[in-house]
Amino acid sequence: MNPPILKAMSDISLRLTVSPPPHWRSGRTIQGMMQAHLLALIPAAVMAAVMYGWRALSVVGMAGTAAVLTEVACLRLQKRDVDVDNYSALYAGVLFAFLLPATAPWWLAAMGGVLTIALGRAVFGGFGCNPVCAPLVAWAVCRFSWPEAMDIDLNLAGFMANSPVDQLMYFGVGSLGQFDYMDLFMGRQLGGLGSSQVAAVAVGGLFLLAARWIRLFIPFGFLAGVAGTAAVYRLIDPTVYADPVFHLLAGSTMFGAFFLATDTASSPVGKIPQIVFGLIAGAMVVVIRAHGVYPDGVPFAIMVANLLSPLLERLRPKYFGVR
Amino acid sequence: MLKIRYPLDSELANSIREMRPPKELHVNVRNLVLKVGKGAVLRKGDIVAEHPSKGVGAFHASACGKVSGVNYHSLTVKCSGGEETVDPVNVETMGKGLELLRALQGLGVDAALFKGGAEVLVVNGQNPEPGISVAQQLLRDGREEIHAGLQMARRLLSPGRTVLAVPKGEETSIPGAETVGVKAKYPYSLDALVVRAVTGREFPEDVRVVNVMDLYDLGKVVLTGLPITETLMSIAGHNYRVPIGTPVRHILDALHMAAGPGDIVVLGGPFRGEAIYSLDQGVKKGDHGLFITSSDSIPAVQDAACINCGECVLQCPARIQPHLISRCAEYERFDEAVRYGLNSCFECGLCAFNCFARRPLLQYIRFAKAQILAKGRETQS
Repeated sequence: MNPPILKAMSDISLRLTVSPPPHWRSGRTIQGMMQAHLLALIPAAVMAAVMYGWRALSVVGMAGTAAVLTEVACLRLQKRDVDVDNYSALYAGVLFAFLLPATAPWWLAAMGGVLTIALGRAVFGGFGCNPVCAPLVAWAVCRFSWPEAMDIDLNLAGFMANSPVDQLMYFGVGSLGQFDYMDLFMGRQLGGLGSSQVAAVAVGGLFLLAARWIRLFIPFGFLAGVAGTAAVYRLIDPTVYADPVFHLLAGSTMFGAFFLATDTASSPVGKIPQIVFGLIAGAMVVVIRAHGVYPDGVPFAIMVANLLSPLLERLRPKYFGVR
Repeated sequence: MLKIRYPLDSELANSIREMRPPKELHVNVRNLVLKVGKGAVLRKGDIVAEHPSKGVGAFHASACGKVSGVNYHSLTVKCSGGEETVDPVNVETMGKGLELLRALQGLGVDAALFKGGAEVLVVNGQNPEPGISVAQQLLRDGREEIHAGLQMARRLLSPGRTVLAVPKGEETSIPGAETVGVKAKYPYSLDALVVRAVTGREFPEDVRVVNVMDLYDLGKVVLTGLPITETLMSIAGHNYRVPIGTPVRHILDALHMAAGPGDIVVLGGPFRGEAIYSLDQGVKKGDHGLFITSSDSIPAVQDAACINCGECVLQCPARIQPHLISRCAEYERFDEAVRYGLNSCFECGLCAFNCFARRPLLQYIRFAKAQILAKGRETQS
């Protein structure tokens, strides 16, 4: 019996590819995007290794490995294609590691990598479906579960520097005279192992902007929100509140602006929503630093703003031709 | 995000070239009402099929020959090489009205375009898509036909204002129409955006858009009285007059081009055109380009989840939300898709062009539109 003819004139000797339009594409892929993001993190990783030694890199490696393995396990359990070769899991794990103190024990890094993927992404449906930036979810869980192990000041007491945000919180504005802004910018401050490398993180962020992997709206809104809110506080009482430049350079502000707040899934889409999202997150950073019980407000500020994303997406123009 | 720099205006060096006549025609008759059967002997210009809905032009044989095979998809005509044509119909002397529209429809003109009246008639003189220079070529080399076509269109529509939209900076004009410059960059060649550039309004009801290619066809029908049997195509930088139904294989042979296994062969433009599955498929009316892309030069589309990066929303000229529409279409929630702007979409394809996750966004949008249309028809009957 002859097989049924599925298509008239179909030709077996020359099989053409049939694909939906458009037939030209920008050629950009998730894999390329994640490779670029990992590349953008390298300067900060190198600076961290210079400052804290090889330990810092082993923490990054542990968290990244744990994240990738967890992603494989989760995808297997969900019976989905294992696509860890798009580097998204590795990137999320490395982001988490950047928030840890460089002396973090191995189990903390591994636990964070697992939580980033399992609790941050997989339970919501995987990469692209997380309502809150995945590394921050893991950071928050670890922060509440093992506060001593996560505490920057406590763990890094052996290093000849101070954590500017902790100093501000415990000793007030008067203690900030010890910090030279150039030192802060060059990363000579205690903080998350990669997230406090301000200059290196900024270089990576500018690379992502120049390569157009991220848009200006969120980082700009975020930094403007931090600077603007800090300026308002400063006007109210300069003896209690730090100045805007300090807030921009201290802790993980720069890291949050370029790498955490721009997380694709948890940030809103559209120009106006993204700017407003950045402004809110930035403002929250200063508010938490001024009134909160956590020294560095960046992680919680971004998580709060993430939860507002669905609401912010309503700020969109009318559709074409709709009156 | 990649900045698209695909200008629509190009340097025209050559005049329109003729395509060697093919030995066989494969006229696309899918979803059409056939008017001839196997074995019928056709003159050039004989009607072979009609569209089931009103207002769409008839389809004609573009050469003399005998129908050697028919299936649901295409009608094969073995060309005899004869010169016989159908008798010309003088449409110019006909009175304005239904009779004239019917005659034009019988000659292959889409009569629905010219039915009723319009306050503003916009002639879209922009090349439709990057890589296609047909409109520009016609505005330079087909002025006589365009002029006749415009006169006929004005007679049918009696517009208060006639505007020719050309690429900004071009000095083209046609008698009886004011010239307006429009940004010569995709997607500003699409009808909806050209109308906005000319009138400042979005989807106005009293404006009719006709592109230069259709106007040229109309003018040719008016001047010769013969049906539309060819289309102009931009192929590898030159413009050719191609008989409708010419198999793509014949074009490739005649122009010494080659398509390998796995390549994507596109009829129409690179953004909105149709990828053919066989080189034996024939050229259709309204196909103005032929493109071959090797499949490994561009990452293929994927059935991947949306990562919510928002690139499609930032790129969309219609300000809609393709990422949400595609998610709804995936799970057959078409009514919800309408809420995210489905009806405002004019299908430029920039969303899918820019998608990092390589989702077939334009396909999802077209799918949702087609499903809603089908559902509407079901409830009507």
